[in-house]
Amino acid sequence: MSQTEIRQFNFGPITAHAFNKDRTQVAICPNNNEVQIHQRTAGGWSLIHTLVEASHDKLVTSIDWAVETNQIVTCSQDRNAYVWNLDQTSGKWKPTLVLLRFNRAATFVRWSPNETKFAVASGSKCIAICYFDEENDWWNSKHLKKPIRSTVLSLDWHSNSILLAAGCADFKARVFSAYIKGVDQKPAPTPWGDKLPFNTVCGEFSNGGGGWIHSVAFSPSGDALAITGHDSQITIIYPGQEFYTVKTNNLPFLSLLWVNDNQLIAAGYDCVPVLFERQNDQSWKFSKVLDVSKKKNINESSTAFNRFRDLDARGISSRSGSDETELNSIHQNTITSLRPYNGTPGDISHFSSSGLDGRLVIWNFQSLESQFKGLKV
Amino acid sequence: MSFRSIDVDALDDEPLVQEELFCYSDGTEIDPQEALNNVQTKGIEVRNLLTKNNSEDALITAISDPPYGLNTTDAKVELNAKIVMDVLNSIKATDILSLIKRLSIEQQDVLMKYIYCGMARVKKPKEKEPPEPFNSAVLLNWHEKLTEIAGVGCIVRVITDRKTV
Repeated sequence: MSQTEIRQFNFGPITAHAFNKDRTQVAICPNNNEVQIHQRTAGGWSLIHTLVEASHDKLVTSIDWAVETNQIVTCSQDRNAYVWNLDQTSGKWKPTLVLLRFNRAATFVRWSPNETKFAVASGSKCIAICYFDEENDWWNSKHLKKPIRSTVLSLDWHSNSILLAAGCADFKARVFSAYIKGVDQKPAPTPWGDKLPFNTVCGEFSNGGGGWIHSVAFSPSGDALAITGHDSQITIIYPGQEFYTVKTNNLPFLSLLWVNDNQLIAAGYDCVPVLFERQNDQSWKFSKVLDVSKKKNINESSTAFNRFRDLDARGISSRSGSDETELNSIHQNTITSLRPYNGTPGDISHFSSSGLDGRLVIWNFQSLESQFKGLKV
Repeated sequence: MSFRSIDVDALDDEPLVQEELFCYSDGTEIDPQEALNNVQTKGIEVRNLLTKNNSEDALITAISDPPYGLNTTDAKVELNAKIVMDVLNSIKATDILSLIKRLSIEQQDVLMKYIYCGMARVKKPKEKEPPEPFNSAVLLNWHEKLTEIAGVGCIVRVITDRKTV
């Protein structure tokens, strides 16, 4: 696959998406209390499961797929999280309730890279670190509380599955230790610290401009943290060393994805993914917009037709047909989530994005890069 | 819609308050009197620069070190905004673009804060007399030019920042 793949899954927003291991199935939430699993077929995608029975009764806010152990975790505004396992005999996904003990909505969920734990962020000023309790045969949770003062909006695990970064609505990003005795091995020292009992705050960062921290992301090596907030800037922090802030002319970003240790993709309210780069250990810079779609040519002959069709089908009356009502970008609304699609951490070749326009887009980063290289020559 | 008027934070044991948010956005509180004195000294400096026709330095001085803080209303509204406004009024419309280009991104952000502050100058409910409005035509012209250079990112940063001028 060399080109950008676009799929309209929903006419409303997609609140979250997650792929399985071989990327043949994707779990999405179509802006309600369901989780749909679509299977890739020859002609596109087909809906094979709808996870709705005995589970969430409010909007599903986040989905994550543990690809090695093939478990899905979902969390929702109904304050609950469920771990889903595929029952081999019936071929259906079966939910297990997780005891989160939240009094507000759950906002974000991510499996740790080793898939033994997951973290759930919430509006109740805490993060639940959930792990499987073999004795009682259920998912138990421990809360990271201090010093969070507001809703936690995003999470990212360090590659060692111990450190957890959190972006909060109190304008701070924090790095915590989520070490669970009896579940985790003693971690090797990192630049973030070497003694890491549960709830150690290894760092607390502000982007200086205020505004909710919408996204946090550890670099592939884990030695740097990128954060972005509602002030249209990204900050890359190297603990104990320098940090870089890039203020942009764009609208704020909502999601971050590291391609490798020197390239970072961000996307948000501008509806296009953009690339930030660092060359030869110098400071970080805005590099380019990754969406290369061009203004579509308006076919003069069909303008009148389009105009009446739009009036009829969508109630839109525009002077020159449907083209005028579309953005020049692939995504037609805010991008809320970026996920790696192909490649290993530190060498991502494809990534996927979803957002408020209900589209799921798979981008070929490598071919986009080579296109730009061609342009430079 | 009566639930809209319920103060949900009142039900919280430790609600997040304005002072804390100001602090979290890296703001440091300063004594209101000290802030006022600083701005007064700055005002004299700016006037001197303006008489020397050095409008670029006058602008940079006027927007430097703004009296951030939750209790520095006098220094902010009454004085510093006026100083910046004087400078903006004194600069020729044709010079605006080149001047903005020479400012750093941080300075552009602060300038945008003052432009919005100037436009927001209206009668407050408790005040007896409405303050004299600033020249909106000048402000809109500056706003247009500044947005051209600094983009919508600059506007978003101004709206987001708790360190208001």
